[in-house]
Amino acid sequence: MSETISSAASRVALRASGKPKPATFAMYVFVGLVAALVIVGAFTTQGFLTAGNFRAIITSAAFVGIMAVGATLIMLGGSLFSISLGLTTALTSIIFMYALSLGIVPAMLAALLAGTLIFMVQGAIIGAIGANPIIVTIGAGAIQDGLIGWISPGDVVPPPGVDIDFLARTYFNLPVSVYVFIAVAIVTDLRVRRSQFGRELYMLGENPRAARAAGLPVERLTITAFAVSGCCVAIAAILIAGFAKNVNLQVQGTYTFDVIAAILVGGNAVTGGRGSVGRTVVGALVIATISDILLLLGASTGMQTLVKGLIVLVVVVLLHLTQREGRAS
Amino acid sequence: MSEEKALAAEVRGVTKAYGPIVALSDVSFRLRLGEIHALVGHNGAGKSTFVKVLSGVVSPDQGEVLVYGQPVAFKTPRQAQAAGIAVVEQELSLVPALTVLDNILLGRVDPFGGQTRSAFLAGVQDLLAQLGLRDVRLSTVVEDLTMAERQLVEIARALSRDARILILDEPTATLGESEIERVFAGVRKLADKGCSVIFVSHRLGEVLDLCSQVTVFRDGRMIASHPAAEMTRAGIVELMLGKVSEKAESAMREGARRDGLVDIDGLTVPGQIKDFSLKANGGEIIAIAGQVGSGASEVLRALGGLIPQARGRVTIAGQPMRLGGPQRSARAGVVFASNDRKGEGLFLQQSVARNLLAVRLKAVSRFGFVSGAKAATLARRLAGLIGFDEKRLGAAVLTLSGGNQQKVFLGRCIERQGTQLLLFDEPTRGVDVGGRADIHNLVRHAASTGNCVIFVSSELDEILDLAHTVVTVFAGRITRIGRRREMTAAGILAEITSGSAAGAAP
Amino acid sequence: MSISGDAPARPTPISRRIQTVMPYVLLAVMVGVLLALPLLTGQSATAFNVYDALQLWSAYGLVTLGVGLTMIAGEFDFGVLGVFAFCPMIAVKIGEYDATLGLALALGFAALIGFLQGVIVAKLRLHSMPVTLGFYIALLGATMTIGHSQSVSFSNFDLGTALDAQKLQILSWRSLIAIAAFAGIYLVMRFTPLGRDIRAVGGDRRASRMVGVEVDRVLILVFVVSAVCSALGGIMQAYSFATALSDPGQMPLKYGVTAAILGGVSLVGGIGGALGIAVGALTLSLLQELFSILAAPTWVSNLITGVLLVLATIAAAPDLSARWQSLRTPRVLPASPPTPAAE
Repeated sequence: MSETISSAASRVALRASGKPKPATFAMYVFVGLVAALVIVGAFTTQGFLTAGNFRAIITSAAFVGIMAVGATLIMLGGSLFSISLGLTTALTSIIFMYALSLGIVPAMLAALLAGTLIFMVQGAIIGAIGANPIIVTIGAGAIQDGLIGWISPGDVVPPPGVDIDFLARTYFNLPVSVYVFIAVAIVTDLRVRRSQFGRELYMLGENPRAARAAGLPVERLTITAFAVSGCCVAIAAILIAGFAKNVNLQVQGTYTFDVIAAILVGGNAVTGGRGSVGRTVVGALVIATISDILLLLGASTGMQTLVKGLIVLVVVVLLHLTQREGRAS
Repeated sequence: MSEEKALAAEVRGVTKAYGPIVALSDVSFRLRLGEIHALVGHNGAGKSTFVKVLSGVVSPDQGEVLVYGQPVAFKTPRQAQAAGIAVVEQELSLVPALTVLDNILLGRVDPFGGQTRSAFLAGVQDLLAQLGLRDVRLSTVVEDLTMAERQLVEIARALSRDARILILDEPTATLGESEIERVFAGVRKLADKGCSVIFVSHRLGEVLDLCSQVTVFRDGRMIASHPAAEMTRAGIVELMLGKVSEKAESAMREGARRDGLVDIDGLTVPGQIKDFSLKANGGEIIAIAGQVGSGASEVLRALGGLIPQARGRVTIAGQPMRLGGPQRSARAGVVFASNDRKGEGLFLQQSVARNLLAVRLKAVSRFGFVSGAKAATLARRLAGLIGFDEKRLGAAVLTLSGGNQQKVFLGRCIERQGTQLLLFDEPTRGVDVGGRADIHNLVRHAASTGNCVIFVSSELDEILDLAHTVVTVFAGRITRIGRRREMTAAGILAEITSGSAAGAAP
Repeated sequence: MSISGDAPARPTPISRRIQTVMPYVLLAVMVGVLLALPLLTGQSATAFNVYDALQLWSAYGLVTLGVGLTMIAGEFDFGVLGVFAFCPMIAVKIGEYDATLGLALALGFAALIGFLQGVIVAKLRLHSMPVTLGFYIALLGATMTIGHSQSVSFSNFDLGTALDAQKLQILSWRSLIAIAAFAGIYLVMRFTPLGRDIRAVGGDRRASRMVGVEVDRVLILVFVVSAVCSALGGIMQAYSFATALSDPGQMPLKYGVTAAILGGVSLVGGIGGALGIAVGALTLSLLQELFSILAAPTWVSNLITGVLLVLATIAAAPDLSARWQSLRTPRVLPASPPTPAAE
């Protein structure tokens, strides 16, 4: 009874005056500012508007982008993110290097398998038992850290005679990693947007209770999301290995938080059920572009990190406020 | 005449409307000092609105409210609390992780009420003892208490804030018999000490047992108010119902009738359901009638696989089905629709089409990819079946009215391959009259294709309209299973409010 | 005949019993191992080891206190990493000119950052993870900028030496300050309405609001305390090492979360206390010390810590008992007699 009234009221309010509400307005302003910044940066910064620079931007976004695309599935399904993603990157790249003694293809398979399994196990613990994702991935991270220390105390290089330069070669002025990024992004996006798995994943993320009550295979969905993410991490790790030529623990770099930042800046909801792979790609590119401008302006790594953090903050707050207004009557 | 006996509270001519819907119409009510006064009425009678008026949650459009002879106009619940009115809702607001003492102290503006700590603690322990919680220590964590004990702690908390008028809203709905006795003993002691109690309940046996006065609401009006000694259960039921057109049984479209499709044997959920057994046929529509807390909902939930502790033997289409997992139930051909469509049913941000197809994507996919064309066709067909405007298939479910949301929710459940049993928990909750008719047709359609449909409802009209068989439930047990033509509205109401047919000795 | 019978109070769920007792059991085991060390490996733990463990405890343990408090309130604070990096940098940089000013400014900043985080989470009703994550990244960047991505040394060695001076063999001013902080928080949590409110807010936010708890204020306060504690831990460490790092890494947080879980803090909120957190952090510090005595390679200590955390999480997982129940449902029960008509 009263239910019908309140929903009727909300419908009326949504149809009311077409003027955007404060936070939505602020969102437009923010996007406009960023666009303006990019344009201004384009014209005033030495070297921004060159093909070479654009290539640099997309190249710098490639590694993070590949991993962020996979990790988007985890967030979409409501399992937040892995806080030890970088460690998995390092571990799989080390495994790749070691396995090269068996041949290039076996090494790739070994790395892909390792990455997928490492993530799948975490996904199983989180999905089947409902354990907290942050804690599980911290724990798994420590274990991986330990494993790295155990199997490779120092730098690992490819065995003599094995040439993995092809991984870092450029075709049409773009490195292989960029093509792989594009391919992975397209494939994953298709899978998420058009497949049964993807649709069910969105539902799981939006309302886990409803998904469960409806009989959806909730554990399987979470485990699969993690598996895909792990696979993407392994793909990136292989490319990184080809690029860096020697790998160690430091391969983890800042990947963990860069990936999370890319997903959040793209506008994916941290609680799941909203967003897309496409958004993550945008997020990764936005961060890469802004970092690039800052770099050209001579800003330090610290400055870039600072700006990255602020962008995450602003986007997350504005997005939340915009959504809230969209829902309020 | 002792009409001059002091009144703790009085309500005169209160009217409250929400837009076109009138929740209370010219209602009067008198609560005497130290009285335990029952407020009864079927769904939608206006009981909860009335409680909200008294507790300051809403203000009446017309009429006046007096507390201890003084007119009051509460704008906030805090004001009502300050005047000494406390409400104990059915949904308890205790924090399970905290101790009893912590919960009682939570949110208090003045921690020890001007007393020393030890004096206050002694007072609280005393209060608990008076309510029958002698062996509950203040240091016990609330999570460890039974529902009855929690209920009593909640009452103790209300009292510790110097409540003189206590409103108990369905306090016994989820309690067992001996637990109810404890609550009653506690409430009686309160009344003895001068506290006045309004006892809102569906359970007429208890009402007559505990209360000294009974007021019946119906359709937003106060129908009658008499001393409990002068009333019988049958009499109250009659007052609650008013005139209900006894509809003829709807013709059962036999369709592809399959005998013995569903066999439930000894379904038990500790604390909620005991020994529920039922045999049902394909094409049959069965109503489980029961008030909130009677276990009716839990039967459906258990069959849907959402209660891990459920035990029992269930056979669907000859195959045994394991309880305790929603995916197992789904595989057995059981489709469950919760009574909480927003929290446990629909995906509000997604479109109507997506919701309709939510659990049958396999049917419209090839090699794992959803075929846009097939999906659109199926969505349109379903929209037609549920009477939903095709053009709005892309709208987010969030934006729909309650009735439409429910239609979409149920539309998700019908016409699915492999379905044997459909479980609808309160299929027309929050749906207006027009939508109801559509949904009833949906239910009939689902049964006509050979499926068995079991629905839970507290709406007598609905039960009489739809069901071929009626199962009445009270306090977790089946009280009666009968064909629709054998049941009357009064009979059903009597069963679900007191566990025995009307006319039996109260 | 009632369906639940005269049921006695339900037995304490296993997960809660584990959580209450776990910190102390673990500490006892840890101490036992250390005492038994001579018998096991011929090495022994000396008073210096305890001192060393307490030094670690006074830095990472305070971070644990911050992380743990926010978890009890039902939130998660990545910002502790941010202030752990940023505030010591401020303290050291400004401290070059005036140590007191540096300290005051650093702690002031910590309070401000905590306040901002709290306001955004409470008033805007935002999820704490992305918000605090943004703060962390931004603060890290700020630290790196100020420190030019290098370690910044602090010329006031005396301060560090004074802080580190051994007292009674195992203590120092650092650990005493940390003990004071823990004691203060413990007293508040145990004996004041605020402590109750914090647990209520984490245990059942809806019920707390209904009952009149000032949820927003409580959350803001918790974030402020969390930030200040973490900053304090980092500042003391910086003074002690006479260095402020541009990027102290994520170890403080990982340590903090692990120690909080071991200390009995529940992931779902509402459960846990300062004493448990102190004990959990102490156990972890002693464990680190053990590894160092045994000269175990880092990978071993990481591995063991990781396994410990995963086990503790699984044991405390909410779904576990439900899963267990449903796995135990037998396929077929013996048939029961037909239901009699109602009496």
